[in-house]
Amino acid sequence: MAHQSARRNNGAGSYSQAVLDVEGILSEAALRTILDQIADRFPLIHGRIARDCLNLAPFWKVKRGSASSQIPLRIVDLAVDQADRSEALLADHVNAPFHSQSEHLRFLLIRIGAQQSRLGMVFDHRLLDAFGSEMFFRLIDQAWQGKLDDISPRVKQTEPAHLDHWKRRFESGRTLNRLLHRLSTLEICALQMPPKGKFRPMRMLHESLSREETIALNKKAGEEIGVPILLPSAAARAIHAMREVLSGISLPGGQYLIFTSANIRVPGQEWEKLFFNHFSLLPLSVETQPAAGIKEMAVALRNQFFAQMKEKIPFVMQDASALGRICPFWIGSRLLRLVAKGRMCSFYFACLKDNGYSNDTFMGQRVLNLFHQPLVFSPPGLNICMTEFRGRFNLVISYMQDVIDDDAAKLLMQEFKSVLVQPASEPVSR
Amino acid sequence: MRDALTIESIQKQLCTEIETLLSLQAGSVTPDTDLPALGISSLDFVSLVLNIEQRFSVNLMEIGLKIDDTKSPRNLAAVIRAGLAA
Repeated sequence: MAHQSARRNNGAGSYSQAVLDVEGILSEAALRTILDQIADRFPLIHGRIARDCLNLAPFWKVKRGSASSQIPLRIVDLAVDQADRSEALLADHVNAPFHSQSEHLRFLLIRIGAQQSRLGMVFDHRLLDAFGSEMFFRLIDQAWQGKLDDISPRVKQTEPAHLDHWKRRFESGRTLNRLLHRLSTLEICALQMPPKGKFRPMRMLHESLSREETIALNKKAGEEIGVPILLPSAAARAIHAMREVLSGISLPGGQYLIFTSANIRVPGQEWEKLFFNHFSLLPLSVETQPAAGIKEMAVALRNQFFAQMKEKIPFVMQDASALGRICPFWIGSRLLRLVAKGRMCSFYFACLKDNGYSNDTFMGQRVLNLFHQPLVFSPPGLNICMTEFRGRFNLVISYMQDVIDDDAAKLLMQEFKSVLVQPASEPVSR
Repeated sequence: MRDALTIESIQKQLCTEIETLLSLQAGSVTPDTDLPALGISSLDFVSLVLNIEQRFSVNLMEIGLKIDDTKSPRNLAAVIRAGLAA
């Protein structure tokens, strides 16, 4: 449903790109061989959504003989003084749609002189989620070490085509309907969407926090809300940044509503649940009036986070999403358009601390960084994503150029970063 | 019944709860285990707090949990014990 909805809006679908930066040069030949090996071993990579007369619900169909299809890999060699071009190349890569219904992965390898390689992997959210994409890099590294046989029996390649646990799913559907009803009445502060038409490609901004800044942020967040959870404090700072920078160009509303991602895998299921999507969403909101300080917003968001977990909302959403398989698209999209009177949310937000890739090296080269560039849904046309890698946070803002301009996006990043690294004792400017 | 719970028995129950939640081997979590070092995710931490609240009938958020209270099962047990006594 999310894929269809995104495809109608951005012409591509629900995709993201994971970018792995390594020292030195990655071998094209070795990478191609490994990708072919993985495509042969895991034919579901070239599966597609299908229906047949036996199954009421659509299912992931793996075509016989499709295992030999290659995973696309493009190589770009840049001179060291052209290194800046790599950002634009990565942005172009994530913006391009897949070529067929059975293509869900593609790679771009940028080699910068002999110093650095950047491997961008665009993935379809129906095949992998953010954590799964990091595990996929691990799969490549395992294959490079000749250990694919150790891993592949642990990776689950199929999900039942039929729907089961009907009672539980319908109960989840009912809970979700009530939540959607609550959200449908909200007047939210959101960016103005352009009239329907062909949208320009989306842009991404990327910044990293230092190790010291990341440690200070985690400490400050813990002290602020009393529990070792960063999400409420980080989300409060993102809302603060939007309020400071975009209030002049966003539609006024009584609340900021954000949808945050939550990885609902059980520890120990990392390999088993490598494929398909195991992320869910949590809606969190804070009042715009009276304008609250960051700490008050963080505490309010923490309380909502706990309340929603008490209602098991992320699990309810995932259970209910199975009903989307038998729900006609036009009904599903109308339901989604109910949220906040069609504005959906102020922005999407992700704050992910658990990594699927923990090796020091990738294909023999030292790993420098790993971050994500999500394509953004419209509405709201804005996504703020924080992912921690090796004790440093990467901040990525994805935005539709038709919704905010580059200068506003840069200001938003500047404000967000500054408020994240601001010392706890320093009063936050309003 | 609530008052009969000793700090040691609360610590023991907490260790078991954490091992189950994180799919760890029995006996791998001790009262002095550094909880942040276990890499416990946000969702798991919230589940842990909610399970504790249900098991011991205390509201940790209302008690006013502080970050130091979440460093180890020993610290958490002390907060729960204080909550039960209140």
